[in-house]
Amino acid sequence: MSIILEFVNVNAGYGRIQILNDLSFAVDEGQVYGVIGPNGSGKTTMFNALLGLIKPSSGKILFDGIDITRTSANVRCKMGLGRTFQVPKPFENMSLYENVLVAAVHGGTHRERFAREIALSSLRLTGLYDKREIKAGELALLDRKRLEIARALGTEPKLLLLDEVAAGLTDAEVKDIMRLVADLKAAGHSIVWIEHIIETMVGSTDKLMCMAEGRCVISGNPREVMESAEVQRLYLGVDENE
Amino acid sequence: MSDKRLQRPVRVLDSLPMLIVCIAVVSVLYAVCLLRIASNNAMRYMIQIFLYITMGQMWNLLSGFAGMTSLGQQLYIGLAGYSVAIATAKLHLTLGVGLVMSVAVSVVVALVLSLLLFRMEGMYFSIATWVVAEAFEKLFLSWKYVEQGSGLTIRVVPYPKIEEICAVSLTVCVMSIAVVYLLLRTRTGLGLTAMRDNLTAASAVGVNVFNHKLLVYVIAAAFTAVSAGIFFVNKGIVYPESGFGISWTVSMIFIVTIGGSGTVSGPITGAVIYVFLQELLAHYPGWSNIILGAITILVIFFLPKGIMGTLQEKLRFEIFSAKRFSFAKHK
Ligand SMILES: Nc1ncnc2c1ncn2[C@@H]1O[C@H](COP(=O)(O)OP(=O)(O)OP(=O)(O)O)[C@@H](O)[C@H]1O
Ligand SMILES: [Mg+2]
Repeated sequence: MSIILEFVNVNAGYGRIQILNDLSFAVDEGQVYGVIGPNGSGKTTMFNALLGLIKPSSGKILFDGIDITRTSANVRCKMGLGRTFQVPKPFENMSLYENVLVAAVHGGTHRERFAREIALSSLRLTGLYDKREIKAGELALLDRKRLEIARALGTEPKLLLLDEVAAGLTDAEVKDIMRLVADLKAAGHSIVWIEHIIETMVGSTDKLMCMAEGRCVISGNPREVMESAEVQRLYLGVDENE
Repeated sequence: MSDKRLQRPVRVLDSLPMLIVCIAVVSVLYAVCLLRIASNNAMRYMIQIFLYITMGQMWNLLSGFAGMTSLGQQLYIGLAGYSVAIATAKLHLTLGVGLVMSVAVSVVVALVLSLLLFRMEGMYFSIATWVVAEAFEKLFLSWKYVEQGSGLTIRVVPYPKIEEICAVSLTVCVMSIAVVYLLLRTRTGLGLTAMRDNLTAASAVGVNVFNHKLLVYVIAAAFTAVSAGIFFVNKGIVYPESGFGISWTVSMIFIVTIGGSGTVSGPITGAVIYVFLQELLAHYPGWSNIILGAITILVIFFLPKGIMGTLQEKLRFEIFSAKRFSFAKHK
């Protein structure tokens, strides 16, 4: 199995504040790779570095075997990185359809005529089809999270990056997301999924990494990682996110 | 299916009848100036309105769409004024060549400056654009060839008549609206609309923010320059202060904010209001800026999306719209 994503000793942060410390890990193609870690451990920052919103001060990021450390965000997206934002960033004055259309036209580099179908099927997959003509700014939080997924799918990603898309959902809705992730995996997508909900991380991932202070503390079989002494120590007494 | 939510929540009025109305309005305006139906005084207002609409459209493209709140578009206004003056008074060329020169100079300067300015964002970008414009003012103030502070007169024989200037202004104005509208209908326009709402998310879904900004910046420089060139032909003389002064930017901010940022109809409305207000306030010298400022604050407070932005939102319609629908427009 080939490696789709690799971080090699990545150091990155905001301005002079360093958040990621020599972060290294690798994601196999076709797998769901889970990421857990306490609040502020740098999970979202890892996505920011991965998408090129912040530039590493040292280290390398390899995507599909290509060094993308210095590549700009829009090019990374076109290469096949589709990302959701933990705090949704919809295009508020555009309809849901237009939100996803932008992704399919620019990220997917399709003509508008073809992008249409991709946008509509992403909206169908995420259960937003009936609301597609509503302005994104009028959505409630849960639908905003769904829109994040729809928009990322609109770019036709090889590697889908999910940042706490299930946080705050009901059990039934969490199950829906898990089913969606399974479907996407079956359709050939590789996925990196950050989430605090243990059930999703144990139930849906092929491999799990735990981050702390911008480092990879442990990675491997999800159940073993969860039960490891390192993770137990990090989460000792902390189950408010469960 | 008769699902209520599938009904178009927003009505786009850009249809054939609308196009016919636009053509009719423009034809009437041409007739009014070319057949000298309007008085010279009325034509002076028309010229101002046409030119301010053009500049407003461009500033809106920069600030309303591409997230570039430039405080330095007067750079291209000054450069255009001096290009026309130098072309006619110094090089004895025709006005047409002068206008072409003003556009060429502005586009070249815009391309060179973009290397510097595009390294900055937000507030830093705004300040930098202003500083550059100020630097050019100082340069022209001390440049002997352009007669320093005493200004440069535009010399052509025969001097164009006001109705000709009016018709050319109208042409440039219509072109600027058409260019913005058509641009917004392309894939670039889709990207720009996304950038208007969120720059970071736009780059994350593959919009090449840098290229979009560059394109917009150059188009804005070109149209701002040609409208300014015409403005100074109408004035007859250009000074460093009248060319490179920050008050140009103040007008553009007023026009776009009042009319509605991020809409094509906004700057049109804003420019009409601005020219009339300016005229009204001319009777109260010293107060005019304070009153304009107060109006801007009131509008930002009560109509944060400007007059057209708020109207379109409340009445659920759009004109000169970049909107895309998920179903065919004609059922
Ligand atoms: N834009 C920013 N500028 C400066 N510091 C930031 C910025 N964004 C995040 N940080 C800091 O970086 C650290 C890591 O934040 P990050 O968002 O990556 O954590 P996280 O693991 O995603 O946490 P959570 O589980 O709460 O989402 C935190 O200390 C945070 O305060
Ligand atoms: Mg986070």
